[in-house]
Amino acid sequence: MRIAIDILIACSVFFAFAGVVGMLRMPDSFCRMQSSTNIATFGVLGVIIGGFLYALTVLHDTSMAVKIAVLGVFYIVTNPIAGHAIAKAAYRHGVRPEKDMTIDKYGEDLEQND
Amino acid sequence: MKKTTFPAFLSTALLIYCFWLLITGQIVAIFQGRASWEVLVAGALVSGFVSLFTARFFIHRNAFYLLAPKRFFSLLAYVFVFLWELTKANVDVAFRALNPKLPVNPGIVKVPADVKAEYGLSMLANSITLTPGTITMDIADENGKTNYYIHWINVKETDPAKAGDAIKGTMEKWIRRIWD
Amino acid sequence: MNELIFFAICFVVLALTLLYRLIKGPSVADRAVAADSIDILADMALILFALFSGRGIYLDIALVTAVLGFIGSVLVARYLEGRL
Repeated sequence: MRIAIDILIACSVFFAFAGVVGMLRMPDSFCRMQSSTNIATFGVLGVIIGGFLYALTVLHDTSMAVKIAVLGVFYIVTNPIAGHAIAKAAYRHGVRPEKDMTIDKYGEDLEQND
Repeated sequence: MKKTTFPAFLSTALLIYCFWLLITGQIVAIFQGRASWEVLVAGALVSGFVSLFTARFFIHRNAFYLLAPKRFFSLLAYVFVFLWELTKANVDVAFRALNPKLPVNPGIVKVPADVKAEYGLSMLANSITLTPGTITMDIADENGKTNYYIHWINVKETDPAKAGDAIKGTMEKWIRRIWD
Repeated sequence: MNELIFFAICFVVLALTLLYRLIKGPSVADRAVAADSIDILADMALILFALFSGRGIYLDIALVTAVLGFIGSVLVARYLEGRL
């Protein structure tokens, strides 16, 4: 059981590491946001599931396990809202990638409406 | 702004009360038989008071819509469908970031959405944002059809319908099963 | 028992690495996203430390930081859109 928990948390560390490397290396703002989603989904989920099992089986503390599960549901529910809000606000504020994008339907349609 | 109806008030109060029970650890105390009824009644009063003001933001149609067994089990099945899509997208983006050549091809595509209900639309948009590699940027109505604008890290298709199939995968079918 | 604190240190090091993006980031959106991610990584370290020490009080702190991080990034987004 302990080994399974360790593997879950190590997976989580790996995905968080990949997300951080992506955030440092990606060429423009929107691609960096994609990598930050990587941190917020699998970087969180492994720790949440592993911590839930650890609190149940090793510590025998049910209230801690319930709190960790609530925390995980909270992350999963709120993160896309914040990501969407920041992406839309950044585009409307005038953040553009240095290199041209392959296709930019949103910019074309915004120009037509204005 | 809609008026607050009684079922909307009741369902919001129940939701807030359950959340309060979970977060304060009272639910464990109930199962172990050491919860005091004064605390439970105080929590119920406060959650009822809060939901008087917040029910009209949450509930816009039938309040206990999700409790029909077919929809509820579709929701439970959707969790696993979504976890599978999430795993695929996570591995893809993680190895894309660790690849020394950094193979990205970003772009914003326009994708039609075939879901009617507004809860279903927002659920599909949030699912798309939560999978790494795609972010929903806006929702627009265009002569009766709803469109998403999606930022995609690796544009494979520029045609709206084909890009929609590649991004939404099997998620849209399950969301239609839940909400329509 | 000890490996939990080791993983927590890994998360803290990742959060410190992300400070580079927070300081240098060319646009406001980069900084907001980096701050949000640092918040999440610090919360993961807090959860692991709560499990390591066996005290539930750190979970409450993690919950409060999660709520504040979400509100902060939505606030930045609304400010950028000019609707605050």
